[in-house]
Amino acid sequence: MKQVLEGSHAVSEAVRLAKVQVMSAYPITPQTHIVEALSEYCSDGTMNARFLCVESEHSAMAAVIGASSAGVRTFTATSSQGLALMHELLHWTSAARLPVVMAEVNRALAPGWNIWMDQTDSLAQRDTGWIQFYCEDGQEVLDTTLMAYRLAETVNLPVMVVLDAFFLSHTFEPVDIPDQRLVDRFLPPLSPRIALDTSDPFAMGQMAPPNIYMEMRHDIQKAMEQVPDIFIKVEEEFGEIFGRTYGMVEKVYCDDAQIIMVMTGTAASTCRKVISDLRSQGEKVGMLKLKMFRPFPLNLMREHLGHVQKIAVVDRNFSFGASGIFAQEIRAALHNNQNHPPVFGYIAGLGGRDVTPEILTEIYWKTKNNTVPIDESVWVGLVD
Amino acid sequence: MESGLKHAEKISLFISRSNISTEINKTGTWRYVRPIYNEKTAPCSAACPAGEDIARIEMLSNQGRYHDAAKTILLENPFPAVCGRVCFHPCETVCNRSGFDDSVAIHRVERFIGDNAIQNELTPKLKKFPDNGKTVCIVGAGPAGLAAGYFLSLLGYSCDIYEAQPEPGGILRWGIPRYRLPDGVVTSEIERIKKSGVNIICNTPITQSFLQDIKDRYHAVFIGCGHGQSLKMNIPGETMAIDGLEFLNDLRKGKAVPFNGTAAVIGGGNTAIDVARSLVRLGTATTLVYRRRKQDMPAFKDEVEMAQKEGIIIKELYSPIEINKDNSEYVLSLQKMKTSDMETDRGRARVIPDGQVTQQLRVQKIIVAIGAEPSALWQLPSYENAGTLNLSHCSFTISDPPLLLGGDLTNTIKSVTDAIASGKQAAMALDTFFKQGKHAITDRLNSCLVGNGPALSMECYMGGKRLTRDSQIVSSEDINLDYFYQAPRVESESIAVDKRINSFDEIEATFTNNQAMEETRRCFNCGVCNACDNCRIFCPEIAVIYKGSERQINLDYCKGCGICVFECPRNAMDLEEEL
Amino acid sequence: MAQFKIPDTDYMYSGHVGCPGCGATIAMKFALKAMGEKTMVVIPACCWGVIAGPYPQSSLKVPILQAAFATAGATASGLRAALDMKGDSETTVMAWAGDGGTFDIGIQALSGAAERNEDFIYVCYDNEAYMNTGVQRSSATPFGTRTTTTPGKGWKKSRKKNMVEILAAHRIPYAATASIAYPEDMIQKFEKARRMKGGTRFLHVFATCPTGWRIPSEMSVKIARLAVQSNVFPLYEVENGVDYTINVKGNRPVTDYLKIQGRFKHLTDEDFEQIQDMVNEDWELLLRKTISGQKG
Repeated sequence: MKQVLEGSHAVSEAVRLAKVQVMSAYPITPQTHIVEALSEYCSDGTMNARFLCVESEHSAMAAVIGASSAGVRTFTATSSQGLALMHELLHWTSAARLPVVMAEVNRALAPGWNIWMDQTDSLAQRDTGWIQFYCEDGQEVLDTTLMAYRLAETVNLPVMVVLDAFFLSHTFEPVDIPDQRLVDRFLPPLSPRIALDTSDPFAMGQMAPPNIYMEMRHDIQKAMEQVPDIFIKVEEEFGEIFGRTYGMVEKVYCDDAQIIMVMTGTAASTCRKVISDLRSQGEKVGMLKLKMFRPFPLNLMREHLGHVQKIAVVDRNFSFGASGIFAQEIRAALHNNQNHPPVFGYIAGLGGRDVTPEILTEIYWKTKNNTVPIDESVWVGLVD
Repeated sequence: MESGLKHAEKISLFISRSNISTEINKTGTWRYVRPIYNEKTAPCSAACPAGEDIARIEMLSNQGRYHDAAKTILLENPFPAVCGRVCFHPCETVCNRSGFDDSVAIHRVERFIGDNAIQNELTPKLKKFPDNGKTVCIVGAGPAGLAAGYFLSLLGYSCDIYEAQPEPGGILRWGIPRYRLPDGVVTSEIERIKKSGVNIICNTPITQSFLQDIKDRYHAVFIGCGHGQSLKMNIPGETMAIDGLEFLNDLRKGKAVPFNGTAAVIGGGNTAIDVARSLVRLGTATTLVYRRRKQDMPAFKDEVEMAQKEGIIIKELYSPIEINKDNSEYVLSLQKMKTSDMETDRGRARVIPDGQVTQQLRVQKIIVAIGAEPSALWQLPSYENAGTLNLSHCSFTISDPPLLLGGDLTNTIKSVTDAIASGKQAAMALDTFFKQGKHAITDRLNSCLVGNGPALSMECYMGGKRLTRDSQIVSSEDINLDYFYQAPRVESESIAVDKRINSFDEIEATFTNNQAMEETRRCFNCGVCNACDNCRIFCPEIAVIYKGSERQINLDYCKGCGICVFECPRNAMDLEEEL
Repeated sequence: MAQFKIPDTDYMYSGHVGCPGCGATIAMKFALKAMGEKTMVVIPACCWGVIAGPYPQSSLKVPILQAAFATAGATASGLRAALDMKGDSETTVMAWAGDGGTFDIGIQALSGAAERNEDFIYVCYDNEAYMNTGVQRSSATPFGTRTTTTPGKGWKKSRKKNMVEILAAHRIPYAATASIAYPEDMIQKFEKARRMKGGTRFLHVFATCPTGWRIPSEMSVKIARLAVQSNVFPLYEVENGVDYTINVKGNRPVTDYLKIQGRFKHLTDEDFEQIQDMVNEDWELLLRKTISGQKG
């Protein structure tokens, strides 16, 4: 049933439909609407679940780890500082192979305080072993959250569903809220592979000395490597029931493009308009929307980007002392590829600054008019 | 719908998930010291002339195992009910608890166990060596002779005890008054000795001629005839005084009559006190005259105290010089004495006359009990030649047949318990002589010492479990006092002081079960494991396990931390170096 | 006859890697005797994180969930919520943390859980320093102690934090101290805590560390007893944050306890006097909180 929903509530509706059992979160703008809605659902009985109002994000993830270890479906949400605070436990969740799903609202890191859109927070966690999906609109958020549970519970790896602060979290759009019965078909109750049990006692998280640790780590990577195939299957099922799929990446006018712009999040929406306009001007430009960032879809990136002349990557994030993170990863992915076109990295829209059609157009022309990138990262839209 | 889920089985899940028990780690390899259960000797048992395993007796009593407690006593002493009344309890003097609050009332507990055994007709089965066909002639059915017969019979000998008096018991029957030792108690415990196979032939004094051809009938002779003859004062008018031993003998035979007059008792030993306390029960106002100081009196201290409580006046430092008659009264002339700087060989102050000061005491009766010696028949020469072995509590002459002397004849301390000890020592010495020869006697007996001796353990001699006991004596520093709380000694019900002298009834009642429980709870059980389980409770490795009803260290896991040894309240464990 | 009457069944295995004489292992042994098999233990980083057994071993017969250092209170909360959602009302969740994970890095999560009155038992086994990492000071380290981060003249000059009082201020149903030297008292308290379902129960257990306190391993239990007997570590209970009951009244001077430990070797007579004054003061404060103390 279609409803006009705020992006935050696309999350909370998905969590409700997924019949999550234990949730724990600490409020942080712009995630607050998610947790408030879920608190209300617990309070009025809409959800048969427990919501633990813990005293920090670190504790929120700890509580979720505790609950998930007992074999129940869990959820948390955070942003920015909260995600950074959770960092230690993000590593923990994945190495513990717990199927946790988290909504992460991309927000800038302080100081100075900035509650608006920035991707550095979630990307700084790219090494923690979480699957990461970047969403463009409310529908995608809801759908991805449902798929995230199915995926997480199949591979036993945690999933982060990322949405832009304010541009997505606080923007109202029409969203189709699926029927509970259909969701139940797609997402049956959790049948956990890990569940503490007094009748079959075992210990979780014991010391793993050098002779065994590496094998455990390798096992995480092996699971990650299977994610793309499984995601395809999960999406297939989702598509069959709900009629929508997204792919790990989405190609827009890529097949004959000379320049491809790689985009993530809501800026991808803006880019669709820009691509359309440029195409009508005769430009051979396309957009590759990157949805799944972890595991990094190496083969897809090589397949879709290898044949073009130039690649323009728009990063709404930065790894200081290096470059924009998406650009960095794409360069690395293409390096060993037979075809590795130059990657033009652009930094735009940090800390809530809008990524306008003008900026994206500027980025296109900068890319077209330069044979090679003038800089590892070109910061666009800076005010002198 | 299943395609995604189907893949779940293919996803490996190699995480830190553990369920193998740590028991595969044999942490025992960490050790460099290891704890051992090593029971030691309690000071009380070493001080007991009969070497009774007192720590264990108190423990068994506290566990309600009265039968086993009685058996434990009977292994070393056939007279618990008797000793529980007349022993001077040197055990209590060395009791480790006395520094904490009060010594344990071991004496009263022994009486309780002895009386309980009599009351319930308990006959614990003791280990007995098979009959060896040898016979022993025992002269005198006093405590020494009866004990010798009892222990020899356990060792497989047939014994005949010859007693001059109409009934057996010696000093038990004919000396110690009823208020200290009732007839029934003596009879019951002698019955038990008879049941062990000992023959007692009364009304049969032994003559020298009997002894001359004894070897035709017996393989050995033990003489425990006691000191039946009173010493003489050797003063004028002595014949006017009544012999103390005779007085007591008559009293026992029912020949004494109440007498409301006055009396003086001369002497300071147990016999003198027995006489004095008997006199007050006959209604006589009694004064006890002793030539040294009160503290020098050889009588047991409690006896002296009781005597005073019962109204007996003690005149110390007065020596009799003469007895004269004056109508119906006797005039006892006394020389005042004073202490000099010199000491006798026993450590008592030597007394000398204090100038010419004299005093006269007018009384209607004078009874003398200044000491005793063997009666004429038994004035045996001491065999100082190489053929005689002088042990602590008996002498062994390697004649044909072997001749042993024991009891008051040989003992330094003339007590019932020492007499029993001498019977035991004689039995062991004789048995060793027959089985291994005279050269083996000293070493064999030394191997049965309780602590450093001189007490001996028959249980050890016969190869019992007590043989494993370490002879190291537990001192009060070895006790972990954290586990004990102050508690006063339990007092028995006793007749009020002013009522005691109205009869010859026993003054103190035997402990009740509850009293025995309460009092034995106070015993530290020095050196003896009483299954308190501290070692097992505190072990961090769960390495103290049960082996049947006993505890054992599981050496696979014990790290040698030593907590068990330290928390053993009673020093029944040690740490030894790991080899 | 046993000196102490305590349950017989053990839920801990031999072969664990605790130091010889480790008080924390004795504490766990007693605790689990009271808690029984329907228990799940949450262990953050601490000595017990290692003693629990390296992979693939476990030294306990009950499930263990190891957790990050600061998270015992929160992880236990989540675990409890999950068990509730699964309809399991029999299993008790027991957080088992050292003083570091309780007094310092873990205090936030514990306070948060206590304020929410989470339904679990939180046990702090206190060996008075960060022992697992090599004897560094914690806020549970008593005044006067030398540790590797309060060495030499820099011995700890601040007082030990009073965790029971902090939690009593949260008005949780039950907060109490316990000691490995008092097995019956300790086990009774654990049994009481286990039965008091529905809210936060906190137990502060004194766990001697021979290694870190520089004492011979065999004195491990004795030292714990002396701490109680000298009122350095009083045994008491607080119900609902207001009802105080003292279980044992000590009467020994603190020097009996301090002088035999290597970690206090450097203290002078003035220091001992100062410590005695501090202990007396704390004891008086505690007495005043009991009902009989209030009347007097």
